[in-house]
Amino acid sequence: MSAPDVVVVGAGPAGLAAAATLGRHGAAVTVVDEQEQPGGQIYRQPPAGFTPPAGSSPAGRALLAEATAAPGVRWLADTTVWGVLGTRAGLDGYAGDQPPPGRYRVATHGPVGVRLLEPRAVLLTAGAYDLPVPFPGWTLPGVLTAGGVQTFVKAQGLLPGGRFVLAGGHPLLLVVAAQLVRAGARVVEVALIQRRRDLLPGPAGLAAAAGAGGKIAEGVDALRVLRRAGVPVRFGTVVRRAAGDPDLTTVTLAEVGPTGLPVSGTDRDVPCDVLALGYGFVPSVELARQAGCAVTWDSPAGGWVVRHDEWLRTSVPQIAVAGELTGVAGAEQAEVEGRLAALGVLRDLGLLDEHRAVTLARPVRRELRRRRRFVTQVLDRFAPDRAALGSLVTDDTVLCRCEEVRAGDVRRALRANPHLGTANAVKLVTRAGMGLCQGRSCQPGLCQLISTLTGRGPEQVGAFTAQAPVKPVPLRALAVGDEPPAAD
Amino acid sequence: MDRPEPVTIEVDGRTVPAHPGESLATALLAAGERAVGTTRGGARRAPYCNMGICFECVVTVDDVPCQRSCLIRVRADMRVRTAVPR
Repeated sequence: MSAPDVVVVGAGPAGLAAAATLGRHGAAVTVVDEQEQPGGQIYRQPPAGFTPPAGSSPAGRALLAEATAAPGVRWLADTTVWGVLGTRAGLDGYAGDQPPPGRYRVATHGPVGVRLLEPRAVLLTAGAYDLPVPFPGWTLPGVLTAGGVQTFVKAQGLLPGGRFVLAGGHPLLLVVAAQLVRAGARVVEVALIQRRRDLLPGPAGLAAAAGAGGKIAEGVDALRVLRRAGVPVRFGTVVRRAAGDPDLTTVTLAEVGPTGLPVSGTDRDVPCDVLALGYGFVPSVELARQAGCAVTWDSPAGGWVVRHDEWLRTSVPQIAVAGELTGVAGAEQAEVEGRLAALGVLRDLGLLDEHRAVTLARPVRRELRRRRRFVTQVLDRFAPDRAALGSLVTDDTVLCRCEEVRAGDVRRALRANPHLGTANAVKLVTRAGMGLCQGRSCQPGLCQLISTLTGRGPEQVGAFTAQAPVKPVPLRALAVGDEPPAAD
Repeated sequence: MDRPEPVTIEVDGRTVPAHPGESLATALLAAGERAVGTTRGGARRAPYCNMGICFECVVTVDDVPCQRSCLIRVRADMRVRTAVPR
């Protein structure tokens, strides 16, 4: 099989739009995604052979149709990308040699085992995941992310429990709560940490909203469904504890004061068997960081985001990014960025000349500017107050779910080693971040705790070093015989 | 949601109905398994992110360990072991 021109990592809105654009202009594209079907989390489709109820219109249908009809696009489903190799001299001993000049080696693992792709350019569109916010009891069965609950309801037709509480600080909670109500679930309460007065839009917000009628209509519609169902939506309310033995039976909600901290004496216990958490999203930048792409800290945009130029090119030649990796901004902006990044890749590969690329990019850039105005307003209002959320952690709270490292372990390690103060150093001392998820679940909470305890800022605390494999690969798959796996 | 006719899978030696193609995490929750994973310390764990990030839902499928049940699809007669320390 001939090597692709471009490998696109992730088949969500950004990856789909990029693949469609690349294919249309003659590039040979391979799109790799961990799911069975393209769409990402936001346009997640039911499994093959499942028919959703009549009347439900899956969002993203036009984009999915455009991408799957595009020429020159190959889809690798059920496949994990675990490294982009060959971007730095000396770091790619895996297959015994360096990739051919002008190409990288994208290492994948899927149904056929390990497969190496050797494209001329890589476009990272890996999306984002729910921001993990540790607090007492958050590891109990029955505590899920809002995105996780949404996938069970929308894509699998399963209500993962009987009594639902949704809590956090993101408008997605309202949308998921309304979906639960429509699916017949009993939603006991939706608790948003923001106080109502902090959410009222100013003049700039109202002006920007003109460009985002769809999103606002979705939120208003969700509120209407919840009101009709009698579901209380409480603002200025935080979940500070989840409890139950052996599984979740109660959450403790408290009022939030002007400082963002729970007000003592306002605790309420609410019985439920599912708690859906939604505090916003973290860009999936591990692969970009592993490849050596420079990142920058942007808290409202989700934390570490990938630095890029006006064509969405990263600091590493021939690696571009689009969508949430540039800062969490939602599906619509991701789609527009996917098109822009694809035009940049086509230009760099010589598949579009400069004039044509610039001309084609002009309306895309205009659209992007319009969307960014709205997104900036939303981000400002719903940005997580990381220090306040960090105050929910007690010494007994598990930070690293995989290795069961508790906040108290970190506190003691820092007291015993006062010179420590980075994520990597604390990882080495405590094992936080060494488990199967490779730190995705604990890094934000751990770094916040280090910040709180040492007074260091996010840039000083840093992030865990991202190394291949960025997701677990069975040793057996890496070591079939003594031969390096075949390059595709 | 209209689903294909159920098949059976084996979960910890028990025969459980499940719809082919649905995620294994879905089938396990529908079968009443609220926790599918266990830590080395013995704590019960269940699907948390449901999108392949957190690895809390890993199970052993047909003797292959550490399979994310949220990403694995149900096939007839698959043998699943839950609560295998990881």
